[in-house]
This record gives sequence, C-alpha cells and structure tokens, in this order.
Amino acid sequence: MLSRTAENLFWSARYIERADSLARLLEVGYRISLIPNTKSGYINEWQSILETSGIKEDYLEKYKSITREKIIFFLLFDGENPSSITNCIKNARENIRMVRTAVTLEVWNAVNTSFHELKHNIKETKNILKELPQIIEWVKKQVNLIRGTILNTQLINDGYDFLILGTYFERADFTARIINVKYFILLPSVNYVGSEVDNFQWSMMLRSISSYRAFKWAYGQEEINYVKIIDFLILNLTCPRSLIFSIEKIDHHLGRLVKFYKQSSNAKNKIKFMYKNFKSLDATKISDQGLHEFLKFFIKDIDLIYRDIEKKYFFGIK
Amino acid sequence: MSIYNEIYKNSKVRKPYNKIFDWAKSLPENVIVKKKNEAESLFKKIGITFSVYNNFDSTERLIPFDMFPRIISSSEWKKIEKGVIQRAVAINAFLNDIYHSAEIVKAEIIPDYLIFKNPAYELKMVGFKVPKRIYSPIIGSDIVRINEKTFKILEDNCRTPSGVSYMIENREIMMRMFPELFEKLKIETVENYPVYLLETLKTLTPLKCSNEPKIVILTPGAYNSAYYEHSFLADLMGVELVQGSDLFVENCITYMKTTRGPEKVDIIYRRIDDRFIDPISFDNSSLIGVPGLFDSYKSGNVNICSAPGSGVADDKAIYTFMPEIIKFYLGEEPILENVKTWKCYKEEERKYVLENLNKLVVKEVHGSGGYGLMIGSTSSRKQIEEFRKKIINFPENYIAQPILSLSSVPIFLKNSLSPRHVDLRPFCLVSSRKTRLVSGGLTRVALKKNSLVVNSSQGGGVKDTWIINE
Repeated sequence: MLSRTAENLFWSARYIERADSLARLLEVGYRISLIPNTKSGYINEWQSILETSGIKEDYLEKYKSITREKIIFFLLFDGENPSSITNCIKNARENIRMVRTAVTLEVWNAVNTSFHELKHNIKETKNILKELPQIIEWVKKQVNLIRGTILNTQLINDGYDFLILGTYFERADFTARIINVKYFILLPSVNYVGSEVDNFQWSMMLRSISSYRAFKWAYGQEEINYVKIIDFLILNLTCPRSLIFSIEKIDHHLGRLVKFYKQSSNAKNKIKFMYKNFKSLDATKISDQGLHEFLKFFIKDIDLIYRDIEKKYFFGIK
Repeated sequence: MSIYNEIYKNSKVRKPYNKIFDWAKSLPENVIVKKKNEAESLFKKIGITFSVYNNFDSTERLIPFDMFPRIISSSEWKKIEKGVIQRAVAINAFLNDIYHSAEIVKAEIIPDYLIFKNPAYELKMVGFKVPKRIYSPIIGSDIVRINEKTFKILEDNCRTPSGVSYMIENREIMMRMFPELFEKLKIETVENYPVYLLETLKTLTPLKCSNEPKIVILTPGAYNSAYYEHSFLADLMGVELVQGSDLFVENCITYMKTTRGPEKVDIIYRRIDDRFIDPISFDNSSLIGVPGLFDSYKSGNVNICSAPGSGVADDKAIYTFMPEIIKFYLGEEPILENVKTWKCYKEEERKYVLENLNKLVVKEVHGSGGYGLMIGSTSSRKQIEEFRKKIINFPENYIAQPILSLSSVPIFLKNSLSPRHVDLRPFCLVSSRKTRLVSGGLTRVALKKNSLVVNSSQGGGVKDTWIINE
C-alpha cells in the first residue's frame, strides 16, 4: 500500500473520531446550560470544553470573551477553527477523496453524503442553542454510519488497520485530555466527597464520553467515587472509552501490521510495553502518584508512538 | 447553413432512433424531471464531479447529464472505428519519425519549422527509442457529424485525453434509470474499457523490466479537474493512483513509497503535462513532478505513457497535414476526413480568412478546451477586429475553419424535447499487439440553444452514446 494512502486512511478515521468526541462534549455543555442555578458553573464548563479540545487560545484570539453561543459556533461551524466539526468532516472527506480507491463505495458514500448534508445543517449563531440537540444527533448518527460501513464493508487488510489505528489514537488522546482538564474534580477533597456538587460533576464527565450508563453497569449501584472513575476511564478493559481499551486496540492492530509486512516496528514494541504496564496498575496507585503527571506522560508517550508509525509507514523510505 | 438533426430523415424518424423516440414521446409527464433528480443525486453520491478553474465559490460541480441517448448504428460505427484506428496508427508512426530521421520533413511534406519550432516538440526526445515505438497509446479524437453520411475529425488529443470515465458512468446511470431500454435494444457495451487499457499498458514495458510490470497512474492531485477520472481508472484497473510526492528516483530507478518500503515502478500512465513531469529536466518550478524521472525514463528503467513530446501530433498546425501523414506512413487514403482548414501562415489562405472572418471559426494553434477561439457569426465587430490584428501579427499562430454545422440530437427539457449540437470523442488504445477501441464514446452536448461550444468548462453537458446493432 502507498505510504500516503496509509496516512490518509489514518487521518480520515482520526478526524471522524474527533467530530464524534466534539459532539459529545457539546452535548454535556448543553445539558449543563439547562440546569438552573449553575450560572458560573456553566461558564466554567464551556471554558473546560475549550481546553479539552485544545483550542482555547484560537478562540480567545478571535472572540475575546467566553460566550455560550460563540463557543458553540466555534466548535461546530467555524471555518477558522481547524478542529471544528465542520472542518473535521471536511478533512475526513478530503483525506478519503485522496485515496478514494482504498475504501469501498459504501464508505465513500457515507463520508461524502455527510459532507454534502453538512451544508444544510449549518445554522446562524443566533439560534444555535435551540438547534444544538438536533445537530449533535445528526453528527453522532453520521459518525456511526461511517464507522458501520467501515466495519461491515472494508476488506480486513492493512488499510483497515490504519483506519482503526486512527480512531484509537484520537480516542486515547481525547479521553486523556478530558480527564486531565477535569482532574481537579477527581481529586479527593474531604469537604466535597459525596456532596451533591461532586456527584453532579462526575456524572457530567462520564456523560461527556458517553459512559454514564456504562459506568453504572460496570460498578453497579454503588456510590460513585473518584477511584472508581479513574479505574473505569483508565484501566477498565470493558469500557470502550478507557485508555487501556485504546491501547489494547492499538497493540492489536500494530501487531497485525508487523505480521502482515513481516517487519518489526518500534511502535509495536513500545505499545506492547505500555499495555503490560497498564495491566499492572491500579487506580489508587495512579492517584497516589499524581493523576495530572500520569496523564501528561501518557499523552507524550502516545504521541511518540505515533511518530514511530509516521516514520515507519507514512514516510515510505527505508 | 443547414443543421443536420440526427433523428430525422425527410421529416421521418431515422431507423436507429425509432424506438427511443417512441419511448421518449410515451413517457408520462414529470418522469424525466424525477429521473433527472435521481440521476443527479447518484452522480453526487458516487462523487463524479469536475473542478472548474477560476471558479472560486464552488470548486466542485456536477457535469450536466442529459438522458436522451445519442445513437449511432453499428454500420456507421464501423466506419468511425476504422478511421480512428487508422489515424492512431499514423500518429504514432509520425511521432516515431519526427524524433528520429524525420523522413516526412526530408520529403518536404511538412515544413520543418512547424515541427522543430513547435512548443510541444521535445528536443530531449530526439533519437530516444520509446518502448515498442508507441508514443501515444491513448488517443481521443473529436468527431463531428455533418450530414447523414459524413463524420469528420475536428481535432486529435494525443497527450492525456479525458472524459472516458463519463463514457462509462453515463452508461451505468442510464442502465440504472431505464433498465427496460437495455432489454429491448441491442446496445454495445463499453465496460471493457479499463480491461483494454490495462492490457494496452502492460505491453508497453520499458527495456529493463523482467517481472510482471508494476503499473501506476500519476495524477496532479485531488484538485485537478479530472481527478475523479484518475481515481476511477485506477480503481477499475486495480493499480495504484500516485502523486509526484509518492515517487522518488534513486540510481535512475523509479520507486514508489509504500508501507513496506520502496517498490520499483515500471510503467507510468501519467495524467500530468510534459513540463511538470520532472523539475530537474523540465519546468523547475513544478511541485507535482518527480525529480530525476526523465533520466530514469531515458535509461530504460521506467516507461512514461504518453511519451514526452507526443503533443506535437495533436497541435492544430499539424492537424492540417493529417491526410498527408496518413498517406505518407500507411499508403492509404484517410477514412475519416479532416474539417476544411485554412492555414494563416500561407499568404493566399490568410487573404481568404481575413476577407471572410464573419463566416469562419478562428483558432489559436496551441489553444485547447474551447479557449483562444473566435466564432465569426456570433462575435461582435470589436472581437473580430481583435482577431484580425492577431492574425496579421502572428499568422503562424492561427488556423481558420468553416463554422461547422455540428449535428444535433434532442435533449430533454422539462416536458419536451429540443435539439442541441453534439460532438463525439471515442478513445482509441494503441498497444504493441493491436489497436482498438470499445464500441462507444463520449458525446458532449452544448446545452445552450444554438451554441456550438460543447466543452464542459463552458456550459457543455454529456450524453450516453449507444452503438446499436441493427
């Protein structure tokens, strides 16, 4: 397979996952804004949404003040925001278009149709809050459709591996970021533990990665506490949004590439080591060592593994 | 000027169009509007779009598709086929000659400066042995119909003719929209084209190529107006679609960058212009080319199709000599005639042209795509005077032709039929074993009433073309 094809496949899947993550983030923001008496709370929430998506500076440069409608517009439609949902879908399509022949007609149709329908969904800033739930639903539906066609129609070859790798690199990165932005609410504080505010914040965070119900299923009706949340989001292999889940997927697909090409890779060795390490961890230990530091290192390590993939597969020269 | 309407003869519907005409007349109201929408959304879904240069607001547009088919009977087609093949063989013989001993110049059939001073003539190709002596393996000649009996060749495209994907996709759409017609009529298939193309390319191995040749299509990239076609052909042939940045040359060998590491490439079907191929040997500002590719080519490690410098043969100044070229190399009379052409560099012919500008089409010799062209009957006095000056100052840059009465075929308007002018571009494939074409071609149609310009960049559309077995 052409190196560029592999790279385009990887990034198209990555952009699709990013659009999905942003939609879920916005959903949480929307929920919070519907709850009374959290005025300062919701401003904080929007701020942390900007931080999670890593575009706070871009936003402030353009709009100066934190306003709900403007943030929503910026995250959804703003062409100047490289990570807006609009740009994610556009970039995903552009990447697929470059390698049109490496995906099935059904995958292309799903991506291309999303792109064309996007135009009809763009709304003015004024009415944006009212329309938000419908837009979010649409984005999630499109992403599921695209992913479904990938799973159901793509040949399970090296191209498939690169598509899946793109998805899980983005997800690992995103989940790490969202915990990192919120790590302070996960810190045990004698005053807050078990209080209403705390439970509320935690449940919002779980919702933002669509894991609220999943958490309940995994841990039963026991009381939510920060150790369980750390365990769930970082170390629980049954949670599709946890870090270890993404690590396991990346390990699996890099392993397939090693076998397929009959060539070893640094990326595979590193992820294997990371996976082993994660399996020996427990949530209390992470918390004792410092969650913030832990996530910082994780984000750096996962990026280094990406660099290895880039060098090995995307540059195409020995 | 009488216009030949292809569907009538003595105000009766001609035989090839009989059934389709009855069918079109019997369609209930609004069916066509509905089908048109259906077809459009299909085109959009599949991603068949073309980019228009200088069109900033929308970079992708659908090419308008009309659902009334253009029909040619198989006996008419046989003559076209023979004529096109004859021309393709002669063109390749001509190219081989002018890059070697140039017998046609020595015989004083074509003036030397028209060839050697031609901007498309590539000095670096002189004396080089092109694999299998095939310079231009894919030729798309534009054909116009003047009356019931006569088809004429308007121009040849020997570099990288495009449009073949529309030929195939138009058929696909028609089969989905009106399957009942395909049961009723015996319509020749065009779907073999990619198979034929692959077979053709496979025969064009470079000197140093021992195994099964690795074939790629080289595209300028996703923003090129014909990108859809490039990816379409790569897909149907099962070959890689590469950009310049996917290739590199080391020790005169061309490789592509793959996830397994470098892989040698043997045959490149390039869809980029000569001057962009290699920034070292040609235009050094080219970002879409491959540094060192031309050296790799000349050392016999890779073949580039079509060969650099093939463009001389489709130049409008050379076009005027095509009947002589066919006679000179094949000893045959041309099966398909040229359109009568006046060469402005010849004093007598120029005199005629200048006196009759309002009755002629004047064309820039190196122009293409419907640009650099003046149609006397529809131009303002000011435009005509502008061209008069140009012809007087640079006579060798211009030719003139009569304003052709391109034949017309109906298109569907909302609930009626209305005639529009059409041309035809079949695609001829020249391999080292045989020269052939699929039974069909691309019919381009001028959608504006009375317009003679069929180019998609200037308001033209396309039709499916049916060769029907009688």
